[in-house]
Amino acid sequence: MRKQLVGFCAVGALLAATGIASAETVKVGVISTFSGGFARWGEQMKRGIEIYQKHHGDSVKGNKIEIVYRDDTGPVPDKARQLAEELILREKVQFIAGFPWSPNALAVADVVTEAKVPTIIWNAATGVITRRSPYFVRTSFTLPQVAYPMGVWAGKNGVKTAITAITEFAPGVDAETFFIKAFKENGGQVLESIRMPLSTTDFSPFFERILNAKPDALFMFGPGGPSSQGIIATWASRLRPAGIKLLATNEIQEIDLVGVGKNGIGAISTGHYTETNDNELNKRMWADMKAMYGEKAIADIAMVATYDGMEMIYRVVEKLGPRAKPEDIMQMMSNMSFPSPRGRLVIDPKERDVVNDVDIRKVDESGGRVTNVAFDKVPSVKDPWKEANPAK
Amino acid sequence: MSSFITVLLDGLAYGMVLFIISVGLTVTMGLMRITNVAHGGFAMVGGYLAAMMIRAGVPFFPAAILASVAAGLVGGAVEMTVLRPLYRKGELAQVLLTFGLTFVFIAGLTLLFGTNSQAVPLPDYLSGSVHIGFRDYPAYRLFLIATGLVLAVFLWLVVDRSLYGAKLRAAVDNPRIARAVGINVNRLFTGTFIAGCGLAGFGGVVGAELLMLEPFYALKYLVVFLVVVVVGGLGNFKGSFVAALAIGIIDTAGKFFFPNISAYFFFSLVFVLLLWRPNGLMPAKSAA
Repeated sequence: MRKQLVGFCAVGALLAATGIASAETVKVGVISTFSGGFARWGEQMKRGIEIYQKHHGDSVKGNKIEIVYRDDTGPVPDKARQLAEELILREKVQFIAGFPWSPNALAVADVVTEAKVPTIIWNAATGVITRRSPYFVRTSFTLPQVAYPMGVWAGKNGVKTAITAITEFAPGVDAETFFIKAFKENGGQVLESIRMPLSTTDFSPFFERILNAKPDALFMFGPGGPSSQGIIATWASRLRPAGIKLLATNEIQEIDLVGVGKNGIGAISTGHYTETNDNELNKRMWADMKAMYGEKAIADIAMVATYDGMEMIYRVVEKLGPRAKPEDIMQMMSNMSFPSPRGRLVIDPKERDVVNDVDIRKVDESGGRVTNVAFDKVPSVKDPWKEANPAK
Repeated sequence: MSSFITVLLDGLAYGMVLFIISVGLTVTMGLMRITNVAHGGFAMVGGYLAAMMIRAGVPFFPAAILASVAAGLVGGAVEMTVLRPLYRKGELAQVLLTFGLTFVFIAGLTLLFGTNSQAVPLPDYLSGSVHIGFRDYPAYRLFLIATGLVLAVFLWLVVDRSLYGAKLRAAVDNPRIARAVGINVNRLFTGTFIAGCGLAGFGGVVGAELLMLEPFYALKYLVVFLVVVVVGGLGNFKGSFVAALAIGIIDTAGKFFFPNISAYFFFSLVFVLLLWRPNGLMPAKSAA
């Protein structure tokens, strides 16, 4: 009798325990930019989450995945740090994600390390970031990862001389450094390196100077948005007629080409995600995006990194349950590899950083839209910054 | 030599856009001493409206003119409802209110159009190039220079040669005496404010290739517009014309000759100039 009772109790406790477990909520804090001039980042990330949840539901094995959004308002590191603390202490989130901006990601490194909160970087592309906390993992790209292959391609494909023109801020310098390194290693010669103020409105005088120097190509880096569009438009009117190629990285995205139109045609860029990718997942993401947000919606690198970041979280909860140890979560996330709209998401376990196939694309008109069309691919590029700066 | 002329033309085109947009601001700040930092907002509204109309099929010029009229009307409404009560409140209240107004413009356009930049599609005859003797040059920039010149001559005729202009100059130089001789300064101001906002709207449309339209336009380019007004001298039309062209050409030449220090180069020059002439190149008499 007594034994039976104990047995009942044990079964009851077991049921209760699984009952609680299946009703758990996994909170994911998303720190991104939802207001101000850079609000597109937050919007695209939110859409990435919503599309992912449309595909996979908002719970995993009965555990609800709840997203808590926080607005960092732009590249404001102090604000990001404060939001991370709040998410950890008050909201008690199990994951943090987001970060369009490198300075913001770097600012939360200590906080997430101390609190042991697995943190997924959905954009910030400065090489060093994942070295700053063992709880960081990145699903986007690094700037050297795309700038370096551009330099290699240029050197091997008949570009003998180039001028670099970047808008002056930290990631621009990263892009400049690694393009020049790769270009020189492959026999190219850099005639001049111009750094344009972030506030530049009219790029034509810089381009007049470039026209005078007659390089084979111009390598640009812009902060995305209007400024990059201005650079592309000026190239189209001044340098394209003289046969000077435009080389760039991820700032040539379809989402930015809308403001540029046919001016962008012919520009060559490297990127880890090409909008016209011919894989099922990418097509499905586009179709659902158009259905959910209208015909004008366009997928970009922020949306894809977010989509893949959500997949990481869902896989972790699926396999390790809703309350896994942070060390186990990091171990699992660092070894991930799964299909992505970009092709495949692969994480390098040693650096917890993404390994990307880098597409070489050309802007062209395709099916009524001005977009990127990939014509070559450099497979499995690890972050060259980390190779140039080995861990001590 | 060919580059030299190109840079000069580029500078002129940029300067003309600055002139068209800023000339209204010099009136606001010179005539009634209203510190209006929302001026860029009217240029932006004009640009957005034109972009919308052109995409809906309205030809470029009618769209530009309709959009400028609309920007002027928005300006008139703002002047009569929220600005007028502030005339006697001092600069701080004016700056705060117009700054707030700028955020209303930014938030409103973000809500309606999103954060992406808006292109104002040019008609085919403006988007190509014209051969100007030694090279091909964008037709659009030649059009800017011509438009700026025509507007400048027109404004000069109105301000220097018409009764309206005489009253306006009188009111700028000494508002109290102008009132004493029976000039309705308030009405004069509303009319001029509407015209100034309309011109800003026009500048926003035709200058959209140089100053890209985006919700933060109103803040991003405000500094340049203010520099034109301050360097030209508050309330002086000719001053703002000379200043706008000088700034356009100097800024452009600075980028061409010293690309890596162009931002410092430009602002250092403005700094030195204002040390030398704190009231601008051609101050109105009341400011001197």
